[in-house]
Amino acid sequence: MTSVNGLCSVPLIEAALNGKLPVTQEVTFQEHLETCEVCIVTMEKMAGGPEWCQETAMHLTKDELDEAAQGKDDWSEVDFTVEYLEPSDEPNVLGRLGGYDMLEVIGRGGMGVVLKGFDAQLKRCVAVKVLAPHLAHNPLFRKRFAREAQAAAAVMHPNVIAIHQVQATGRLPFLVMPLIPGESLQQRLAKRGPLEVVEILRISMQASSGLAAAHEQGLVHRDVKPANILLEPGVERAVLTDFGLARAGDDRTLTQWGVIAGTPNYMSPEQARGEKIDGRSDLFSLGCVLHEMATGRTPFNAEGTLALLKRVCEQHVPPPSLIRPGLPRWFDRLVLKLLAKDPADRFSSARAAAKVMEGCLAHMQDPSAAIPVEVADPPFPLRKMIWWAVGLLVVCAAAVGVLPEVLARSGFGAKTKADETKRFEGVQVLNEADIEDAVIEAEMQILDQGIKDLEGSLKESQTKTMEKRSP
Amino acid sequence: MTLTPSTRASLLLRLRDSQDRDAWAEFVNIYEQTIYRLLRHNGLQDADAREVLQELFLIVNRNIERFEYDREKGTFRGWLRRVSRNLVINWLKHRDRRLTPRGGSDMQSMLDMIPSDGPESTQFDREFHRAVFHRAAELVRAEFHSETWQAFWETGVLGISPADTAKKLGMSVGAVRVAKCRVLARLRVAVTELEAIQ
Repeated sequence: MTSVNGLCSVPLIEAALNGKLPVTQEVTFQEHLETCEVCIVTMEKMAGGPEWCQETAMHLTKDELDEAAQGKDDWSEVDFTVEYLEPSDEPNVLGRLGGYDMLEVIGRGGMGVVLKGFDAQLKRCVAVKVLAPHLAHNPLFRKRFAREAQAAAAVMHPNVIAIHQVQATGRLPFLVMPLIPGESLQQRLAKRGPLEVVEILRISMQASSGLAAAHEQGLVHRDVKPANILLEPGVERAVLTDFGLARAGDDRTLTQWGVIAGTPNYMSPEQARGEKIDGRSDLFSLGCVLHEMATGRTPFNAEGTLALLKRVCEQHVPPPSLIRPGLPRWFDRLVLKLLAKDPADRFSSARAAAKVMEGCLAHMQDPSAAIPVEVADPPFPLRKMIWWAVGLLVVCAAAVGVLPEVLARSGFGAKTKADETKRFEGVQVLNEADIEDAVIEAEMQILDQGIKDLEGSLKESQTKTMEKRSP
Repeated sequence: MTLTPSTRASLLLRLRDSQDRDAWAEFVNIYEQTIYRLLRHNGLQDADAREVLQELFLIVNRNIERFEYDREKGTFRGWLRRVSRNLVINWLKHRDRRLTPRGGSDMQSMLDMIPSDGPESTQFDREFHRAVFHRAAELVRAEFHSETWQAFWETGVLGISPADTAKKLGMSVGAVRVAKCRVLARLRVAVTELEAIQ
């Protein structure tokens, strides 16, 4: 390859391929490429040749599955209406189902479709949740739908959605609930971003009370997330929906209910692992919701479902105040206690959690009210105070032995540090850097105190020596 | 204030672990795509494919402890590749029998079963290769100016002529040619690297 102007050279092409040509040379070389077939062929060969180009094109060309993975799906409201609703003569009505006029589709999840219906007898609008057609074909799903809907209907609580009617037979099983005006917590977060602490506590306390009522009936929600918490305007009442529907009975694989078809951002570690779960799993999910209400983001995030589930199982959550400075320390503790990996480290029940949240709320409204002990700063340990008192006595008694005392003290400092660490682990500050900071701070305080004490005892011994001399 | 030796050691552990976690995520991302597409190609609906994916995760996660020990030797990835490949191919073969992981010796045999070279395994390898390409493209794309990438995409993937692309993007034909080859060359390195770590 020879050229009069020296542009046909392999090193030059190589530099161009690596993006290492100076700008002026780059332009000249590009102009050269308009005409020089030899250089074009050489460059293409160096970039992998036509085979490589073909292979790349074949793999990178998007197909219909890529579109599907981007969230487009094949569900159609028209198809659903035509296929499953009885026709109605009324204009503005999609069709009829079980004696209700269906007005519009208001939501859709992995489990089914929610429609706005009109109850002509009672002259009121209702929300009708229909089991998804592809699940309704399966008798097992139908049976579970009925069983769980009935269980949910038995929970009577202001913070749990009421169930007016359960229709388990017929082509599509459905259940009828009151239509709650207002928005879901998910909608509110999308619109307004993170909430004030008082508001967070009010919502989570109510959600917790609702969960408690259900747990006491033996029902685990399994799908606590902002979309399932409705906020009634005016009274600011939080209402849990989708109760029990997500529950897979005693099955260990929850997937058969399509729970994971959505986002696993709020799933507990035991759920992610497919283990047996109880009400405390809901508390973990609620912890994720609290984290999101406070910081605007869920505690666990990753590209892809599997990576996300692994994080849920393994990644420790830093205190929310690191993301939003100014959050009270007790709030950090509250969230981290809910997010404990081991259910035994969370609150013992939703009832207990609600009580603590209520206490926090009382403290927010009246700072003189004590912070609930479960999330309060750990008290200064009595044992340590006794040790200090003993140390002080020793100093006083042995007025002359200042140096040995200092040595004794350094050993004592080490013990205190161990205590500190234990104390912080106890409240689940799981970020090691934080623990270290706290330990360092505590040690500095202790050292300060120690120096003051030593000064005090020195003065004392001086005075005593003076007294001895004076007579 | 100095840190105790034990704290220091645990900090190191944490660092190593977090790096490993990212590697894991990178790795799993490619498998997730591979398996999802494989299942969809075999007639599963979106939601069903996600469910199977989830069940695979449960199985892998439940059996992962046994393999943590070997992680240092780099066999963890090899194991994950083997397990997910086996599981999904076997799942496709015996589709009516549900996966339902329960552990025990049955589970072990399922994990260890070597799938025969059927159409499913060819499909798996093809989808895997494709997923590697897509991930590589994602990573490489960030390294280039958007117009360089666009020039590559139009000419290399969509097969539009350099002249037309140049006109559309307001570049010279030579610049389009260089852009295409630069991205192709970089992609080749990225794909080779990704395949090597998988």
